[in-house]
Amino acid sequence: MAEFSTSVSDKGEISTIYLKGFLDAHTAPMLENTISGLIDSRKYSIVVNFQELAYISSAGLGVFMAFIEKVRENAGDIKLSAMSDKVYNIFDLLGFPLLYEIYKTEEEAINKFKETKNLES
Amino acid sequence: MNFKIADLTKNIKFQSFIGFAIILFFFKLIFGSNESIFYRILNELFVIMTASFFIMYMFDVIRAKKINPLSLIMNIGILNAVIFFLITFSDSIMKWVFGNIQQRLIKPDLVISIVSYLYGFLFISTVSYIFFTFKELFFLKQKKNVSTYFNTMIIFFLAASFASVLNPYPELNYIKTTFIIISVMLIIVNSIRISWIAFLSKKEKVSLLILSVVILILFCVNIANSSDTHLHGQVLQSFSTSLDQFMNLMMIYGIIYFGILFFTTLFHIPTAEAYDRKTQEISSLQYFSKLITQVLDFKELTETVTEIAIKVCNSHAAWIIWIDNGETRPLAKKNIGIVDANLISGYILEKMKSGPDAKTTLLSLDKFEGKVKLSEKFNSLAVSPIKTHNEVKGYLAAAKRNDFIFDDDDKDAIDTFSDYASIAIENSRLLEESIEKERLEKELDVAREIQRKILPSKNPQLERIKISTVFIPAFEVGGDYYDFFELSEEKFGFVIADVSGKGISAAFIMAELKGIFESLSKTIERPKEILVKANEILHRTLDRKSFVSAAYGVIDLKEETLTISRAGHCPVILIRDKEVQNIRPSGIGLGLNFTDHFINTLEEVKIDLKENDLIVLYTDGITEAKNIKLDDFGNLEFEKILLENSDKHVDEISNKVIKDVSLFSQNISQHDDITLVIFRWKQNLNLDGENKWQNSAPQFQTKVK
Repeated sequence: MAEFSTSVSDKGEISTIYLKGFLDAHTAPMLENTISGLIDSRKYSIVVNFQELAYISSAGLGVFMAFIEKVRENAGDIKLSAMSDKVYNIFDLLGFPLLYEIYKTEEEAINKFKETKNLES
Repeated sequence: MNFKIADLTKNIKFQSFIGFAIILFFFKLIFGSNESIFYRILNELFVIMTASFFIMYMFDVIRAKKINPLSLIMNIGILNAVIFFLITFSDSIMKWVFGNIQQRLIKPDLVISIVSYLYGFLFISTVSYIFFTFKELFFLKQKKNVSTYFNTMIIFFLAASFASVLNPYPELNYIKTTFIIISVMLIIVNSIRISWIAFLSKKEKVSLLILSVVILILFCVNIANSSDTHLHGQVLQSFSTSLDQFMNLMMIYGIIYFGILFFTTLFHIPTAEAYDRKTQEISSLQYFSKLITQVLDFKELTETVTEIAIKVCNSHAAWIIWIDNGETRPLAKKNIGIVDANLISGYILEKMKSGPDAKTTLLSLDKFEGKVKLSEKFNSLAVSPIKTHNEVKGYLAAAKRNDFIFDDDDKDAIDTFSDYASIAIENSRLLEESIEKERLEKELDVAREIQRKILPSKNPQLERIKISTVFIPAFEVGGDYYDFFELSEEKFGFVIADVSGKGISAAFIMAELKGIFESLSKTIERPKEILVKANEILHRTLDRKSFVSAAYGVIDLKEETLTISRAGHCPVILIRDKEVQNIRPSGIGLGLNFTDHFINTLEEVKIDLKENDLIVLYTDGITEAKNIKLDDFGNLEFEKILLENSDKHVDEISNKVIKDVSLFSQNISQHDDITLVIFRWKQNLNLDGENKWQNSAPQFQTKVK
């Protein structure tokens, strides 16, 4: 199987996780580590960029479920962005659009975070 | 059993010994002064028998113990010292106590008889014991059977001793002398058999040299003191001439044996060190082979490695610096504390080259800044890399204290040894991996077995619904589940589900799903309600990362409708009049949300069925099947095949799909379960003349539980 990697970049208070390659049962723990790393450093505004993700399995989807509760409890969110049609289809089938905000681009997701922040303050 | 027999004979020997000792005592008491040759011979026979049984008994008692030549030599030394004191004391004390003992010996009274008996008896034991010890020394490390030499010698010893009864007849003295000369010659021949010296270490050889000189002198003094002119000689002779003679022979044996021993040891000493090194090399080889047998346990193996490292390079402490995922930690520390090991390890990692160039290096701690912090004054180090496939996995470190340094021999030794250790460690790791792999495979076997038992063993045979199913498990068990429920004569329910994750955990959730749907389908009719309930129940058991995609449907045979609800599962495909429809009511996967949101978003659709409708249920194992370029098989391709073959028998359709999917995924392992369920709806049996009569009959041909 092809490799999987994650990278994180912070834009202000918002962190973006970039996913690359194949996210399945074997690589899911890497993403888990990345997200729990962000949560440990109290970063709860998370955007996930799926641009370079080739494949996601059910175990990969499970990773987001594992953290969403904790993040939302802390007034944060995990917003998904820039999915290919194929990846979106998998999320869509499972009803993820009913549970997560999914945006066409990373910017949209970040702007959405900013809007809510402005509204709050 | 053997043990008992040995015990028994041991007892008999002991009893015989005591018996003869008692006989001898009374014989002495009664006939002590009788000088006739007959009584003398009888006396000697009793003494010889007593001594023989004593020696035989001793063999049995001591044989079982492991014999160390040096302790045997020590025994002889101690006994000689005892004899020396006995002789010296007898000369002065007896004279003082008994006055003119020579006179009294000729016509002994009771006191003299008892004293003489005890004295003689003391010598029987000590001399016998010396003889026994010589015998053990003789047979030590002998490679061929040499008992003939020794037995011949014993015979001549006995002959010479016994011939001493002829002492009063000087003209017959030549008999005794001949026996003695032959005995001495045999002693010389037998004393050369001292190959056991070679097996001693240098230290042992030095102490043997000193001991042999001392004992040699003792033997000489004792033989000089036991001549007839001394009181001791007279007492012993009056007790038994053969004992006296035997003792003299033993003293001669001692002088010859220890004389030869002394010179041999002397000549062996210069080569002793070389011999020591050889034996050490041999024992290192033994250690290496020990490593091979310990690859089953990594911890035990590392412990052995450091233990041997200390021995091969004569160091005071040793440990392994293990590099694991970039982190280093000391393993299997021997004679060094964790703090010291950590400090020195840091210094070593700084100084050692990494990569394929790493080789065994001697380091000094003189320039080490942290040296003052060490609790023990380690001064010099020998460090050897533990390499596998040119990759440094760690270092084997050995340390010496204070002024001790490692020489080139030590360096070579640890270098060679670390090569062996590297191989053993690598083997151990590989073995651990393969055991883990086997364990996983066993676990997956169990998971597949669970899955096989959960899925329906055969399809229901229905008049109006033709069913074809295909299920192909993935090696890792994907967690696909499907089932059929014959709810009533009019209603037929079905479910298809895919558990997230793989392996045994997925199999367990499958088992739970079967229980949930099996029971819910009996009480609840509406698919939406069933999925809502199922979600509620799963809330209690599913962990946050797991979820289940499922679709539940009911075909009403009377209404001729299909009602379906979908919780995150692949759409249900309906093929009607050469057209593909994806039935995809909204719904979130089970276990993803446990609020009203789940209920509110879950839709239920109802479709009127038409003749020859094809209803296809599947899991993503089909659409996401990969080819070698990692492309998906895809929904479009799937739909195309279904459409092209929609007129055929359901089994033919499913076969065609599976055939195409496997062709597509050639040369790539199937990574998810594949499930395909196809229903064909036969609407109006009335149109079929043959089946007309069945209209009033029950709809189900057979009830499959």
